Amino acid sequence: MATGELARLGVRSTAGPRRRPVPVGTIVRHVVLVAFMLVILVPLAWVLLLSIKSIPDAYRPGFWPQHFDFTHYTYALTNIPTLPRNMLNSVFVTLSTVVITTICAVLGGYALVHLRLRGRAVVLGLLVASLFFPTRVTSLIAIFETQRALGLINTTAGLILPYITLNLALSVFIMRGIFEQISHELVDAARIDGAGPWRTLLSVLLPLTRNGIVVVIIVNFVSAWGEYLLGVTLTNDQEVRTLPVVLAGAFGGMGQWAWPRIAAVYVIAIAPGLAAFALSQRWYMQGLQEGALKY
Amino acid sequence: MASTTLDFRRGAASGRAAFLARQGANWVFLLPTLIFFIGWQVYPIFRVLWMSLTDYHFLRNQPAAWVGFRNYANALADPILLTGLLRAATFTALFLPGMIFVPMLLAILVDRVRQPTLAATYRLILLIPAVIPGPLIFVLWKWLYNFNIGPIDYFLVQVGIVTPQTAPQWLGDPKLTLPAIALMEVWWGLGYHTMFYLAGLAAIPKELSEAARVDGANEWRLFWHVTLPRLRPILLVLVVLRFGTAMAVIDEYLILGGFNRALPTYTWTVYMWDLAFQIGDWFQGYAAAIGWIGAAAMLVVVGGLFWVFRSRD
Repeated sequence: MATGELARLGVRSTAGPRRRPVPVGTIVRHVVLVAFMLVILVPLAWVLLLSIKSIPDAYRPGFWPQHFDFTHYTYALTNIPTLPRNMLNSVFVTLSTVVITTICAVLGGYALVHLRLRGRAVVLGLLVASLFFPTRVTSLIAIFETQRALGLINTTAGLILPYITLNLALSVFIMRGIFEQISHELVDAARIDGAGPWRTLLSVLLPLTRNGIVVVIIVNFVSAWGEYLLGVTLTNDQEVRTLPVVLAGAFGGMGQWAWPRIAAVYVIAIAPGLAAFALSQRWYMQGLQEGALKY
Repeated sequence: MASTTLDFRRGAASGRAAFLARQGANWVFLLPTLIFFIGWQVYPIFRVLWMSLTDYHFLRNQPAAWVGFRNYANALADPILLTGLLRAATFTALFLPGMIFVPMLLAILVDRVRQPTLAATYRLILLIPAVIPGPLIFVLWKWLYNFNIGPIDYFLVQVGIVTPQTAPQWLGDPKLTLPAIALMEVWWGLGYHTMFYLAGLAAIPKELSEAARVDGANEWRLFWHVTLPRLRPILLVLVVLRFGTAMAVIDEYLILGGFNRALPTYTWTVYMWDLAFQIGDWFQGYAAAIGWIGAAAMLVVVGGLFWVFRSRD
């Protein structure tokens, strides 16, 4: 059983079947890998620990606190006046952005692969070009102008429009990669059965693209949830701003922004992304393998 | 028989209309993407290009006047812009090698882990930083680098490399700022870039490395002659994509460096933002020219990279 399992997994037996002890190379490899894992995890563990330290401990050097204090979370949510509002703003902007971008990407990716389009190459060319151009920085001044003309400066909802384009090109490419994995015969079969392009997409293809959609959702969730540049440029008042913009502008110190309290806000800010990833990681990993990385 | 011919003729007569109708129906699928893409990416780029040829000041009342290439001429003689471009290039040079080689090494190591649970765990941990948004990563590292409460200096003092008096001010010392930010960027992209390489490694047939081993190739030769050539397309995409983002970095600089002109974080991007939304009466015409100069400088190098990496097969 065990050998069969190993053989199925394609274990390379460089040392031959007789040498049983784990080779030195394997041990070194795992030591290096564990070191890298620690480099990734320790900063996150540090901020998590900071958020449950008592205030004196937070200002005393040292990793492990003498006293724990779990009240910073409730303190931050009740005593920092705009914080619940900022979180709500972030949720609203992020969900709207994710829904709209995902719909755009699914429809666009499908059309680019499975529908006949005169001028498809032009669209593809423009989308590719936008990945190699510092669009975000260079277009900022004109986006400010457009938003102002639409009366959307210093509004939370107004952020959704430019946020949609943050990863739009990338999302279309991800979905294009996923749709390319689906055979044209399947699409032709649906067409012969009398299904139009919409029916084909919604009832035949959509279930097959689930993993890719999860990747698109996560990618857009992360970028919209944490967006800073447009948020800080297009809004002014603390109560219309999103959580990352407020957090980036806060200086750790005393009072309501004491370090453990600001760390608690930080943990609240990164938790949704990590939770969404933890819940969907199976499909996310599959999506990455199915071609989301092959654009 | 007769009816088929009739149908055929009717089809031919309305062929063009049917073709247009079908094309229109198909383009509907791309419409949402195109609206946002053109409205908030393509149009603004060209609008900024137009602005850069005027003397548009946002806070002035008189309409913008056409000034031709005067903004560009002034900008190219502006020491702040030239320093800013140099600083951005320095950052890119610091960041790119770490971003290319560390994930590659990591991917080769992870790719060899055969134990399924361990392999999955490594991949999972690697992806954690990739699901934390960039600006929040920057906020975290601003604290990690803090010399009062930051754990990095604390660790260095504990190990005995520095004393509390000589502990480095990562973000305040102009010599250390850009390397510190580059290190942070490598940390942030570690998992994401490793996954890119892993996708490439998965596509290399296992028989190939088996055969090379049988022929007596050691790990090093295996890497040079089998793995690296196969990873070249991924390498190219990563280098070009990351080159673009590294040259045009702005969030990092705004969050970690602010608007202090003495710090190396005051690059062309921060200068553009400062001019357009903060200094004086918001000289957006000039800021637009700076935005396009930065973009053009980047495009030239990206073009150069494509030329260097062009397929010679």
